[in-house]
Amino acid sequence: MLSRVADSLYWMSRYMERTDGILRMLRINYASSQDDIHEFSWKPVLQIFTYLEEDQVAAISRNTRAVLQYMVTDKENSNSVLNIVTLARENARGVQDHITKELWQCLNDFYHTIRNEQLVQGLYTDDPVSILDVLIRQGLLYYGITDITMARGEGYAFLNIGKFLERGTQSADILDIKFSDLEYDFTRTDTTWWRYLLLSISGYELYLKTYRSGFEARNVVELIVLNPDFPRSILYSVNRLQLHFQRLKDDLNREGYQKLDFMIGKIHSRVKYSTVDSILQQGLHGFLRSVKDELYEVGVAFNHHYFAYL
Amino acid sequence: MQTSELLNNYNVDPRTWDEMYSSSTVREQYKGVVDFLRQMSIDELGKKEELAKRLFMSQGITFTVYSSGEGIEKIFPFDIIPRIITAAEWTYIEEGIRQRLKALNLFLKDVYNSQFILKDGVVPFEMIYSCPHFLREMHGFPVPHDIYVHIAGIDLIRDHDGTFYILEDNLRTPSGVSYMLENREITKRIFPDLIPTNNVRTVTEYPNILHRNLVSLSPRQTAHPNIVLLTPGIYNSAYFEHTTLARLMGVELVEGRDLVVDNHRVYMKTTSGLQQVDVIYRRVDDHFLDPLVFQPDSMLGVAGLMSAYRKGNVAIVNAVGNGVADDKAIYTYVPAMIRYYLNEEPILKNVPTYQLGNPEEREHVFANMNQMVVKKTNGSGGYGMLMGHTASDEEIDRYKEEILKDPRQYIAQPIISLSSAPCYMNGHLAPRRVDLRPYALCGPAGIEIVPGGLTRVALREGSLVVNSSQGGGSKDTWVLAG
Repeated sequence: MLSRVADSLYWMSRYMERTDGILRMLRINYASSQDDIHEFSWKPVLQIFTYLEEDQVAAISRNTRAVLQYMVTDKENSNSVLNIVTLARENARGVQDHITKELWQCLNDFYHTIRNEQLVQGLYTDDPVSILDVLIRQGLLYYGITDITMARGEGYAFLNIGKFLERGTQSADILDIKFSDLEYDFTRTDTTWWRYLLLSISGYELYLKTYRSGFEARNVVELIVLNPDFPRSILYSVNRLQLHFQRLKDDLNREGYQKLDFMIGKIHSRVKYSTVDSILQQGLHGFLRSVKDELYEVGVAFNHHYFAYL
Repeated sequence: MQTSELLNNYNVDPRTWDEMYSSSTVREQYKGVVDFLRQMSIDELGKKEELAKRLFMSQGITFTVYSSGEGIEKIFPFDIIPRIITAAEWTYIEEGIRQRLKALNLFLKDVYNSQFILKDGVVPFEMIYSCPHFLREMHGFPVPHDIYVHIAGIDLIRDHDGTFYILEDNLRTPSGVSYMLENREITKRIFPDLIPTNNVRTVTEYPNILHRNLVSLSPRQTAHPNIVLLTPGIYNSAYFEHTTLARLMGVELVEGRDLVVDNHRVYMKTTSGLQQVDVIYRRVDDHFLDPLVFQPDSMLGVAGLMSAYRKGNVAIVNAVGNGVADDKAIYTYVPAMIRYYLNEEPILKNVPTYQLGNPEEREHVFANMNQMVVKKTNGSGGYGMLMGHTASDEEIDRYKEEILKDPRQYIAQPIISLSSAPCYMNGHLAPRRVDLRPYALCGPAGIEIVPGGLTRVALREGSLVVNSSQGGGSKDTWVLAG
């Protein structure tokens, strides 16, 4: 496979995963903002998904419509849904002969949907949830079409590598920033707060089924970092990353493979052989920080060993 | 209002050949379609047009216009009413193109090798050496199977009596074939059952034939040669076409930066190292192909490509340097080439053409500017063209000054009216001018022409310019089986 094509598939997939993460986060936090209009702040969401300075965050963190505008359609925000869907589509456009026609059409439709000003206007004047739902559903179509139509070859491996690197990083980020908002105070048991955190990464129901004793910070950490069956957990993401990476094994690029195999294996072991106690002993922030750094290094190594074509 | 009433409002210019009507009766080949349209209301037709637009948009059959840093997606306008060609007309066109292409290939081989046609005085030396597309780099180098033109998109028009004329030979990187394929797919969606009941010949073989020809050009004797389609990239207005063809043939779509030349061999950069490339179907113009030989600042090409080509380690399609044969001034000599190489009379006629490099002809043209169309010999896309009957006196004077700076770069032709075909225009059918570009493929086994082509249509009333850059659109083009 052409290095450029692998690169584009990887980024297309990362952008789509990010899109999904942002949209879900917005949807749940909007609901949360309606629950608790005085206490609620968009600050954590803005910290996770934007590059705004502290004072810029402060300026809009209590203005829901302004946040929606900035995060969904602002052209100046390089991480706005509009911009990353455009980037995903541009990447897809350059590799149309490597993705199925259905997948291309789906991304193309997503692009035309998000650029439909009439529709998106509803975010600022109407019920934003129904608009966010339209967009989330378009993203779900992308996942479904990828699953059903894409051949399980090298391209599929790069799609998944991008997806799970992005997802692992995102989950680590969400957990880190949400807890830093609490100043890592593990005694807090305010139900609404936990509920929205879990809902925003679709882990609420699983949490209820797994832990019957109400909300506890330790359990939340366990679910989001260590649960191998929770599709948004860090461990799950790293497991998948490793699985799809191993399909790239190939005698022609032995050096790159060995290097990345080592790096991914190392993160995998670090996460897999941790317990809540060992994480808390090291400090949650320090642990998440090092996971994020290592995931970032994996991305850099892919660039170097697989995508270098310029 | 019923559609049949709309047909009554169809006013054909009496000095024009209309594809559908002959002295207000519907021609045999259009009867099926007209009967079908009669059963439809205008609303329905309007909806069909909407559906066609939506399909083009959602499939990304678009080109991007960039303005103020933002891309805007545009559709190449599509008219829903098909253009129909009879079996007899097609046989004639096919024979004519085959003959012409045979002669043009022989001409290219000759002009880049022994130059008999120049030495025998049939084509003047200065015509060739003054042509910017004549590339010395191609001299004395045997291209595989002596084929220079693997893909030709020869443009035909019809005069008021229905005679076909060759308007130009596109032998470099003719575009538009994806619209031949996609327009047909759209017709299948918007008019269910219409195609099978009308005995229309299929065009879907095109990518298979092209792929087979590309495989046969591989310099390495291997079962699975590496074939790539070289595109200038996503910002090119024909990018959609490049992806479509790559997908339909199952070949790799590459950009210049994906390729590298080492020791006179071309490789592509892949996730598992370098892989040798055998055949390049390039959609990049000659002058951008190799910065070491041609334009040194080109980012679209591959440094060293020409040396690999000349060594015979990679095949390039179409061959480099073909522009010398489709130059608008050399066009005048094609009938002479056919006689010279094949000892045959040309089947398809040329439009009479005046060389403005020739003082007598220039004087004649200058005296009759308002009946002429003047074109640049190396221009394309309808740019830099003067239509004498609509231009103002000042425009004509300014254009004359331009011509006098370098007369060799201009030709003039009497204005040919172009045939008209029915188009759906805001709720009624109206005649609009059309041309026809069939696509001919030339491989070691011979020349094949897929029964169909691109019909370009001038959507503005009365306009004779069909180029897409000048507001033209396209139609699905049917060739009927006998």
